[in-house]
Amino acid sequence: MENAWIIPLFPLLSFLFLLLFGKKLKENSAFVGILLVGISFVYSLIVLFERFSQPTYKAEGTWLSIGDVQLTAGFEVNQLNALMLVIVSLVSLLVHTYSKGYMHDDERFHVFYAYLGLFTFAMLGLVLSPNLLQTYIFWELVGVGSFLLIGFYFYKEDAKKAAKKAFIMTRIGDVGLFIGMILLFWQVGSFEYDEIFAAVETGSISTGMITLTAILIFIGAVGKSGQFPLHTWLPDAMEGPTPVSALIHAATMVAAGVYLVAALFPLFTASETALMTVAVIGAITAIFAASIGLVQTDIKRILAYSTVSQLGYMMLALGSAGYVAGVFHLMTHAFFKALLFLAAGSVIHAVHTQNIEEMGGLWKKLRVTGPLFLVGTLAISGVPLFSGFFSKDEILISAWVHGNIALFWLAVIAAFFTAFYMFRLFFLVFTGEARKEIRNVHESPSVMTLPMVVLGVLAVVAGYVNTPWFGTFLGDWLVEGNEALGHGHVEGPAWIMIVATLVSLAGIFLAYLMYGKKSLSRDWLSSRAPVTYSVLYNKYFIDEFYELTIVNITKFFSLFLKYIEVFIVEGIIKLVVEVVQTFGKTGSRVHNGQVQMYGTVAFVGLAVLFVIFAVTGGYFG
Amino acid sequence: MNLMLALIVFSPLLGILVLSLMPKMQESSIKLVGILATLPALVLSLAVFSQYKNGTELFAYNLKWDWIHFGMSEGVFEIPFELGVDGFSLIMVVLTSILSVLAAIASLHIKKEWKGYFMLFLLLEVGMLGVFVAENLILFFLFFEITLIPMFFLIGKWGFHEKEKAAYSFLIYNGLGSAVLLIVIMVLFARTGTSNIDVLQQLLTADAGHARITDNVKMGLLLALLVAFGVKLPIFPLHTWMLRVHVQAPPSIVMLHSGILLKIGAYGLIRFGMGIFPEQFTSIAWLLATLGVVNLLYGAFLALIQKDFKMVLAYSSISHMGIVLIGVGALNEAGIQGAIFQVVSHGLISALLFFLVGIFYERFHTSEITKLGGMAKGMPITAGFLLAGAMASLGLPGMSGFVSEFMAFLGLFDAMPVLAAVGCLGIILTAVYLLRAVLGMTFGKAQREFTGVSDISSFEWAPVLVLVALIVLIGVYPSVLSEPLQATLETIMLGLGG
Repeated sequence: MENAWIIPLFPLLSFLFLLLFGKKLKENSAFVGILLVGISFVYSLIVLFERFSQPTYKAEGTWLSIGDVQLTAGFEVNQLNALMLVIVSLVSLLVHTYSKGYMHDDERFHVFYAYLGLFTFAMLGLVLSPNLLQTYIFWELVGVGSFLLIGFYFYKEDAKKAAKKAFIMTRIGDVGLFIGMILLFWQVGSFEYDEIFAAVETGSISTGMITLTAILIFIGAVGKSGQFPLHTWLPDAMEGPTPVSALIHAATMVAAGVYLVAALFPLFTASETALMTVAVIGAITAIFAASIGLVQTDIKRILAYSTVSQLGYMMLALGSAGYVAGVFHLMTHAFFKALLFLAAGSVIHAVHTQNIEEMGGLWKKLRVTGPLFLVGTLAISGVPLFSGFFSKDEILISAWVHGNIALFWLAVIAAFFTAFYMFRLFFLVFTGEARKEIRNVHESPSVMTLPMVVLGVLAVVAGYVNTPWFGTFLGDWLVEGNEALGHGHVEGPAWIMIVATLVSLAGIFLAYLMYGKKSLSRDWLSSRAPVTYSVLYNKYFIDEFYELTIVNITKFFSLFLKYIEVFIVEGIIKLVVEVVQTFGKTGSRVHNGQVQMYGTVAFVGLAVLFVIFAVTGGYFG
Repeated sequence: MNLMLALIVFSPLLGILVLSLMPKMQESSIKLVGILATLPALVLSLAVFSQYKNGTELFAYNLKWDWIHFGMSEGVFEIPFELGVDGFSLIMVVLTSILSVLAAIASLHIKKEWKGYFMLFLLLEVGMLGVFVAENLILFFLFFEITLIPMFFLIGKWGFHEKEKAAYSFLIYNGLGSAVLLIVIMVLFARTGTSNIDVLQQLLTADAGHARITDNVKMGLLLALLVAFGVKLPIFPLHTWMLRVHVQAPPSIVMLHSGILLKIGAYGLIRFGMGIFPEQFTSIAWLLATLGVVNLLYGAFLALIQKDFKMVLAYSSISHMGIVLIGVGALNEAGIQGAIFQVVSHGLISALLFFLVGIFYERFHTSEITKLGGMAKGMPITAGFLLAGAMASLGLPGMSGFVSEFMAFLGLFDAMPVLAAVGCLGIILTAVYLLRAVLGMTFGKAQREFTGVSDISSFEWAPVLVLVALIVLIGVYPSVLSEPLQATLETIMLGLGG
């Protein structure tokens, strides 16, 4: 564990190496990336197992001193960090492997692997950070990795816009984090998590300040995790290559917001207002994004809205004091959502379209991808015995027990939506007949299916580390030795599990009726409630709203300042120039060659000096 | 007597001497001499820097010769020729000598009258180096003026279409600024009989100083200084001249202009404003911080709607100089250290960006954003460095811009949290305008044919790599700057009474 700091350096090495030599290596770049991230993964596993038996390890050194204040940099291996290390490096390793097949024949193959390395470095660095400043540093670097990968197809206008949007929208959130972090610093005198928690515990920070800083930091999480109202960048981010969506916009980076709230959990629990804000935003996001997912037609965008919605669940869990539930769902979601994205990539790879209206009947043709996609779909829908079932159950129980009854019901409805839209997707893509002729459909190579199989297995079994039936190992371990994080397992009424199951089954059944058996018209919603349908289809017109308000106001203000610049500021300059010129002209007129004139000027000057001397009694002053 | 500093300052003169003996048309050897002549200053200043890091005290480099005497027995006015450095000015000397070498390399793109160009270029370097090592105000003023004249000709002769207009507006503004500065210097000199900066600091801050100059006059002098250096920095609304210089001067000269010359404003404010009038400075700190936020936001908003990338960078400079003012106005260690970091960091970043402008201007003869669209297709490496430069400029952690921005805001949040929160809007806007401009040029559909256009080539690699390396070095390991600054900062804080 003492050497855990080395874990992020392997992907960094991969980045630098491929940047310099990737062009010559061409597609062999993949081996460099896979090997180096593989080392990181193995070492992360070792660290995780060491952490089972040993206490938290932390090491730091001075990074920058400002006067007497020393800002430090270092790393820490606690339960959450160790778990995240494994999740991140595992998913990254699988995506590295998968991309070898998916990105085959791309002329910037090596660049792709270099960027993946950069991103993985930043993400691993983020989860090892022992203080808020270092977290912020890697937080931003993660954002750049994401930006570069979204804009990977830089020649596409949409990719350019999406990359720019992702960077700017998350930066709006980041400024919240930036301010919150600095305000907290002036309260605590340190960026260290330990010292922040100590200060919170001893009550040396006022409640108002705790609430303010917690909410500001949460704004950062809102941006990164695509929570309402800063969520609009995440669906657009699907312009990036699909493996990127699996790694960054499903499993790791977008979960960083959830991770941040979890890492600062004691700060949030100290303020009921802050906690409530997190829960409310989470629940709203969960149902809001799920409702949009109901009617979208692009396979990746449906998954993107699903991600937004699931991240909302995690926030709801944390906001309901369900530390374990939030982190548990973060883990299971990382596996099944990465699986779904990779499977979707495999589908896109086979049929070269992302529009599910044009797909159909792929079950017979994609004999590996199909069943794996089904596994992921069952897991996310919360069907019993799959991983998502257990973690979602924990979240619902947390919300209920914490007393967020209204939010609990929102989450239940969102669960219904989730089951519906996921099976709508499944039936449209894999059953029935192709609605548009699609030729040459073939299963992806094993380098792509293998990572999916691994994730498929995890999507089934990952839930069993924390179940009410066989024991809550994960939960107990996560909160071990830290009372501020709550209990490992929250006991809740048994009916919640039954309701959750029924709701998912109902969603699946409805999807089956409409898209599988087709006994219900598919146009049911669009014909009965065209307005609702249009609002959902256009994502509540939020992008349009931002365009109309914020973007236009900014542009207008810029233009306004431009007129100030042109007329007022430049006007002053003209005045100055006039004065100088007039002065110059007057001066040159004095130089007319007549001695009388020179004498007069000299005399007047001398007189002025005498007057000044007489009045001030000296030179100046 | 240690001649080191004098050697550093005057070593470019050797180049001027050699150049003056060379025939006009020998293009390549003139360019070679021009570049070589910037090297001694770099080597010597790095030597001083490393000796300082290894424990040599800086006063060992002080140098003092008798120069000018006048006055009667009871009031002798002395102007010795005295050079010296502290941590801050040493860093500025190193920065100047580095950027001079790189700008000399960038000058290989110059198309005509190389002899005159390099002679003026080297004279400019003498002026810039001299400004930072001058130990008395009169010498400072002298070197300050030496920078103006070569700049005027370099802009007016080797610039773009509206070069003459730009050159004149440069001269008028800076001339007026230095006239105001001269008044301040003369009043101080007349009142105290000395123009030595350290002596003035002691005289004016000690209690006895009150008798020499009343507080009101001090305040007047400080405000005059603010105007004089405000033109240079520039502070809104005194900034329009520098927009023209940014756009019209050749990119190699803008590297120095934006990288060093603007910084003289910051240097003067910190060294003289804060050093000589600490009490008055404290009472107008709020004004500086407010002006800083205004600069930051005003520059950012206007950068957002520019069509020419050079204009974007010009407004970006205004915006980034706002951060210097924010740090200075915060008046605490974090803020002042942030301001100094920003001076260095922006020097490097804007030099990098203008060097890159030089690269693609050489190839496409335009810097209009829409005309360059999709550049990453044909010139991936240049485009990559442009993006890296933009990231550094918008304060990406791991690069120097972040450290300075972070410290300046850290300082201001302690002093004036509400103002600081308003200023944070600038952090978002900076990302918006830089990405708009850089992605507009590099991403998207290719707007032109890139066949036959070479990407970054031979000699162009060196400056880009050096600058990126320095930017990352400061970003990852900021102690490389903060340690040499430590003693200077302590002195400043002591003067401020904190």
